[in-house]
Amino acid sequence: MKKQLTRLVAVTSLSILAWSCNQSDPAPKGDYIQGVFVINEGNFSQNNGAISYFVREQTTSEADVFSKVNGTALKGGVQGYAAVGDKGLILVDNSAAGLDKVEIVNSNTFKTEASIGAPDIENPREVVIGSNNIAYVSCWGTNADYKFKTGYIAVIDLNTNKVTRKIDIAQGPENLVFNAGKLFVGTTSFGTGQTLYVINTGTNMIEKPIPLDGAPNPIGIDANGKLWVNAGIKALKLNADSYATEATLTMGTDASKSAGNFAFSNDRKTVFFVLSYFDAAFASHGETYKFGVNDAQINVTTPFIKRNFTGLTVDPSQGLIYAGVTPSFAQAGYAVRYRTDGSLVDSVKVGVAPTGFFFK
Amino acid sequence: MFSEEKQRDFCPIHPFAQVIIDRWFFMAVTASICIFLSENLLAQKDSVQLNPVTVKGFVPEKFMSGLKIQKIDSAALTQFRFGNISDLLSLYTPIAFKNYGPGQLNTASFRGTSANHTAVLWNGLNINSPTLGQSDFSTIPVAGFDQLSVQYGSAASIVGSDAVGGSILLNSNATHEGMQLSVCRQQESFNNHQMQLTGRYAATLNDRWNFSGKTNVYSGRMNNHFPYSERKLYALLPSESSQRGIVQDLFLQSKNDQEISAHVWLTSNRLTLTPDDQAGRELTLTEAYRTMLRYRIKDLTFRTAWVRDVIDYAKGDYALLDHAVTDKFSSRAEKDFQWNFKKSESNIQMKIGGEWTHYRSQVAGYGTSHVTENRGDLFMLTRWQATPRWVVSANMRQAFVTNFDPPFTPSIGTEYELVQDLNYSLKLKGSWGRSYRVPTLNERYWKELGNPDIKPESGWNKEIGLEQNYLSGANHSFTTSLTAYHNRIKDWTYWNPSKSYHVENLQQVLARGIELQFGWRHHAQLWKYGTNLGYALNKSEQEKAYDAYSVDIIGKQLVFVPMHSGNGNAFVQYQNTRLTAQLQTISKRFSTFDNSQFLNGYTLANLMAETTISLNKIKMRFQAQANNITNTFYLNVRNNAMPGRSFALSLTMSYDSKTKFFL
Repeated sequence: MKKQLTRLVAVTSLSILAWSCNQSDPAPKGDYIQGVFVINEGNFSQNNGAISYFVREQTTSEADVFSKVNGTALKGGVQGYAAVGDKGLILVDNSAAGLDKVEIVNSNTFKTEASIGAPDIENPREVVIGSNNIAYVSCWGTNADYKFKTGYIAVIDLNTNKVTRKIDIAQGPENLVFNAGKLFVGTTSFGTGQTLYVINTGTNMIEKPIPLDGAPNPIGIDANGKLWVNAGIKALKLNADSYATEATLTMGTDASKSAGNFAFSNDRKTVFFVLSYFDAAFASHGETYKFGVNDAQINVTTPFIKRNFTGLTVDPSQGLIYAGVTPSFAQAGYAVRYRTDGSLVDSVKVGVAPTGFFFK
Repeated sequence: MFSEEKQRDFCPIHPFAQVIIDRWFFMAVTASICIFLSENLLAQKDSVQLNPVTVKGFVPEKFMSGLKIQKIDSAALTQFRFGNISDLLSLYTPIAFKNYGPGQLNTASFRGTSANHTAVLWNGLNINSPTLGQSDFSTIPVAGFDQLSVQYGSAASIVGSDAVGGSILLNSNATHEGMQLSVCRQQESFNNHQMQLTGRYAATLNDRWNFSGKTNVYSGRMNNHFPYSERKLYALLPSESSQRGIVQDLFLQSKNDQEISAHVWLTSNRLTLTPDDQAGRELTLTEAYRTMLRYRIKDLTFRTAWVRDVIDYAKGDYALLDHAVTDKFSSRAEKDFQWNFKKSESNIQMKIGGEWTHYRSQVAGYGTSHVTENRGDLFMLTRWQATPRWVVSANMRQAFVTNFDPPFTPSIGTEYELVQDLNYSLKLKGSWGRSYRVPTLNERYWKELGNPDIKPESGWNKEIGLEQNYLSGANHSFTTSLTAYHNRIKDWTYWNPSKSYHVENLQQVLARGIELQFGWRHHAQLWKYGTNLGYALNKSEQEKAYDAYSVDIIGKQLVFVPMHSGNGNAFVQYQNTRLTAQLQTISKRFSTFDNSQFLNGYTLANLMAETTISLNKIKMRFQAQANNITNTFYLNVRNNAMPGRSFALSLTMSYDSKTKFFL
């Protein structure tokens, strides 16, 4: 009797389950459906980068999600993370040659699905998602001599999890911006490159090299459809079609400082950035500033936040500014949250060297 | 700058010289007071004898009373003759090693200190790399020396710089037998193999002089062809290493208490990471040329040495070598004294000496064509055997370094036999001493990151221990020792990761711990059994805050120092056949200063079987070895997997002329 009852309950619940599944599109399942993903670069020689995760309402994080889910660490520095649909791409840079990879995970469960290693991926730097389930990863290549002659963009088809094409880019491709069939490729300031490359993602060919007078760093497309590019301590506003420079704003006059960690506000009318420098005792200092996309100049006398950050991103859903603090490469860093007026909300301890954030 | 100029204006002699004179004066006064006192004693009591003493050791261990010294037995040295000393020490001592992978960089943490805090002495000469201030233990093969002792705790007053956590003493021995030749070969898993040729010879030259020597050539290659590329999804980093070297010791010993010895040890270690990747491969070539000449006449000893350390590094294209070479010229003179007091059965032994070393270093990273540095040391060591049961040592040392001011380092140690029976003894020992470390050449001269104004690290080490020996019947012997230590090191030098690794005196570290050792031996006619067990508790923590985020670090265990470690070995021997089991276990090791990340603890076990067949003058020794028999998975500090179970077989053929003479 008892057995029959159990069976009945089991059958009923199975049918309810089947029925409920049929009622709507399957909702994503997993522990990481909504929240903040922190890209922790880790200490290069220790290969201990990680992705940390926390839900927006909380102030504690899971320091290493990948390791928790998969029972094995990423085994390298983490250079980037991006996700589209249920696919997430983690860029892993190991200190030894031949062990770099793009780890492809289910973005909701963080379970590993595929791994693309050398020679397809060597020294990955940044990832952006394009259209048609394609991802672009800038790679320095083997670059054993640090002369940045071996770089390329790896084009990854997320349907097959394979690199379908490599587009050669000299001088160490670094930051990427994808917009409307175009991929804007900057190069590292460690090299001597002063050219921003525009790749037509339909043909995967370089459509236009844009000469600049500094290492190019594409920031993004603003509310008016203009392309912003940083070179040295200048921010340039370019026409996104003709690439003509429409405005040049300077971030102060001190060329020994370096500008970085550019982030757009959610309305894409404000750009936040960090201006940093090393003092005589080799400590890194810096402040965070902002400018409007229609401003005629940048105010670097009054910082927006009087702090130096190693990562800066605005949460698209809540609008809070997430800033990464790296006390050193040998201890855990923090994600510090600010309102758009620059007032402090709170901070969350994350992994080693937080350099960026991904929001879902 | 200002103060220096001011000093120059007012000081008629160089300030460095002035410091030497002041301190030499102090030492000389102390020494003459001691001698004066004893001369007075001599005048007062007829019974005092002034005896010349024969001092044969390279390191004056007898002045280390109160400190713990562990001698590694020759059976273990024979078993590990194809290994590096880290293989042996990690199984026989609580020294923790920070290993980057098989055949790769391997540095020691002794009693919770850093890699710069272990002195490695070859025949009494510190052979830590002067640029790095540490030794890569993967480049020191057991084949290079005859005797190995491990001295725990600070012995700076005796050993000098670097002896903060402890010292590793490697010595060459004169042979007293006719002629021995041996050839050995070891074949290991992963296509690794080793080869050694050794000759020992001795002869009487004339009625006064005897001659003896040793020549040893070794060569080994680790191809590391693992049958798997990863373990538990962690990659094994492909690497190859080869090691070769030659050791030459010559001794001339005279019947009128004179000895001349010459020692040469040339060793080369070539490591390649990811050798099949032409663009990404990394080469590290470590070479050392060590030479030494020593002359002793009665209680006076002179020693002179030249050591060249070369490190070459290249990535991808080996034509672009990053070349670093350091020459070290060192001379030392010392004299021994002894006074015996017949009435009280007490005696005083004393050693007074000085050492002078010149360094010349060419390192690309220094930004200048070369740097030179002079270092001097004056020391006075005293051992007073107050009663047959009670010994006191009082030692002092003052080091001098170009443009640098090391602290005066005294130490005092004592040992007292609480119980001294025929079958049982219980000894209480204690020691208190200052330690120091002269900054490495890299720390002072590295372009931009180095800090010429770095202060000396300074530590005070206190320790207390009990040692117990018990003989049960005629055949069983038990030894137990318990030691507790407390070592606080101020101005701990730190390549500050929050300041782009600029060198600073930031940290203050307190290392505390307890060491427990137990040994049992049983000797019957044909059978022998024995075991050794050790446990160490090591708490080593950062004490001082230096920036806003260092609060996350205070009170945390230092990186890569396990809190608990244990080792054990046991053997059974029947005639010439011996079976040995070895075990080492370490608790988890934190890999970040705030202890937010760690490597898991692990236990490794090895088994060894050996047997020797003798045919008159020829001996054949077979050894079979299984390492990591449980196939334990563990990670190195690069976060790469270490290999699993592996095997080794070796054969040693030796010839012994069996002619003997005695000195």
